[in-house]
Amino acid sequence: MLKMHNIRKSYRTDTIETHALRDFNLEVKEGEFVSVTGPSGSGKTTFLNIAGMLETASGGQYLLDGEDVSGLNDRDRSRLRNEKIGFIFQGFNLIPDLNLFDNIDVPLRYRGFNAKERRRRIEKVLEQVGLSARAKHLPAQLSGGQQQRVAIARALAGEPRFLLADEPTGNLDSLMARQVMELLEFINEWGTTIVMVTHDPDLARRAHRNIQIVDGQVSDLQHAVAAAEAATA
Amino acid sequence: MLELKPMLSALWRNKISAMLIALQLALTLAIVSNASVIVQDRIEKMARPTGMPVEDLIAVTFQPIAQDYDMHGAVVADLDLLRSIPGVVDATHTNQIPVSGSGSASVFHSQPNQEIGGEVSNYYETGPHFMQTLGMNLVAGRNFTPADMRVVQPNEDARTQVAIITRQMADALYPDGDALGKSFYNSNGTDPVEIIGIVERHLGAWVSWSKAGNVIFFPRLQENNFKRYMVRAEPGRRDEVLKAVEKQLAERDPQRVMHIETLSERLERSYMSDNVMVKVLSAVVTLLTFIVALGIVGLTVFWINQRRKQIGVRRALGATRANISRYFLVENSLIAVTGLALGMAGAQIANHFMVSSYSQPALSLPVLLVCALILVSVSLVAALVPALRAANISPATATRSV
Repeated sequence: MLKMHNIRKSYRTDTIETHALRDFNLEVKEGEFVSVTGPSGSGKTTFLNIAGMLETASGGQYLLDGEDVSGLNDRDRSRLRNEKIGFIFQGFNLIPDLNLFDNIDVPLRYRGFNAKERRRRIEKVLEQVGLSARAKHLPAQLSGGQQQRVAIARALAGEPRFLLADEPTGNLDSLMARQVMELLEFINEWGTTIVMVTHDPDLARRAHRNIQIVDGQVSDLQHAVAAAEAATA
Repeated sequence: MLELKPMLSALWRNKISAMLIALQLALTLAIVSNASVIVQDRIEKMARPTGMPVEDLIAVTFQPIAQDYDMHGAVVADLDLLRSIPGVVDATHTNQIPVSGSGSASVFHSQPNQEIGGEVSNYYETGPHFMQTLGMNLVAGRNFTPADMRVVQPNEDARTQVAIITRQMADALYPDGDALGKSFYNSNGTDPVEIIGIVERHLGAWVSWSKAGNVIFFPRLQENNFKRYMVRAEPGRRDEVLKAVEKQLAERDPQRVMHIETLSERLERSYMSDNVMVKVLSAVVTLLTFIVALGIVGLTVFWINQRRKQIGVRRALGATRANISRYFLVENSLIAVTGLALGMAGAQIANHFMVSSYSQPALSLPVLLVCALILVSVSLVAALVPALRAANISPATATRSV
């Protein structure tokens, strides 16, 4: 589903060049639920941006669903983002001036669906996240957990094969965080590949696999976590 | 994909700033369209044909110092002298300088013994040489002959038996177009004045008069205490002729006060207020348009900065750069169209007031539409640069916490 080979990303100012990612290698298989952890400044967000084609890598190869996206132009990258990737952000990132229906409608309009198809998809995902009755509400009229469920609905409406979640429970209390996590696990069970960046070790453990990024490089901790759990048991 | 419905609902939630810009556009359109129609009217007024070769004409006014001055003799001698100067096409005496703002007028009727109604007309007292001197185009009838001329003393009955009139005056007196050979009368008058000739056009003494163009020429020389001449030079020789006229008239009779100027100077002075009006209103129109453009740039930049995160999110969700630019341009157009629709109504109301209270020209729909179109274009151009800059906001902005 996602394959990064020797990905490098550096930011340059007049005097300093910072390497956010270097020799970054990762493969995520279709249907996997992968959590990504790491200390602040380790390169998690840079990885997420490159994986979601929000930024381009300085070097290396990135294959998304078998397609090399490294050399695509902005228009093709926008199209691919819209069609294949669903985003869930830490701050929900709903558009405050639009009601829930219109918020979910945003990526569908960019896809070019007709009004009937958009309505069908929006009603379907609102029902999936349990917010059908709130379609005409503004984001500010909802709780944090409900807003994140709307954000998940928006990400799902385009029926992406790949979901990128950036600290999806970071702004929620523990009860709401659990509900959102259960929703993500449910979505993953339908077959959607999920990569989730998180600081929360408990949530990270619930993924199939945990990747830790340290100093812009990846270390696969799947075996270490399993070993640690075995030792605790 | 214009996103009109969500765009309108987003605008509704930010309606104060949107309405302020819309109102600014409305006010600008109301002022700009009314100012434009005044500017257009003044430009058209100044571009009207005068019916004369203005660039070749010289006006002379003199007043003798002596009390018992032989005015008739002086006029005959002066005109002979003027016509003999090299480069002079012709010269004539006249009671008024064309387009100078100073002249004579009276009411004339197509029927005798009329007290009310009639047609007001500017009139000249001149002679057979006026036709060639003022370069007029005789479209019907004949010019004066020396036999038509009357030389009258002050307080003497000055009426002549014949006159030449402009076509505009002919149509006013005789709307059926058969004025030649017919007569007209002074108010309460019974002595007819026969129309022996019709000239194509002549603007007369007052360029701003609503009936400029109503002009009558009488073959008459009054022996009053001042006199005027018009001198026509060959094309390109006016300045040279002017110097010679000044020198030779002064040499022939130095005992008089004389003023000589070109007709171009007089015409420029007559149109000075119109020229100033055109310049001031053009400056106001330009300034207002510039201010409204700045307002639009300011609001668009403000909204874009306020929505940087939202733009990043839209980009992350699949918006192309073109989608983002188009969003802001369409949003701006919605505000502009709303403002201009209000402005069109406001412009009509303002114009109605100006027409009824200040006799200003009426605002036509094409002028209003052209002004609205220009302001829509200005608004789009003003929003274009910020909108293009908005498109460069990185989609990665969506994942930044600040």
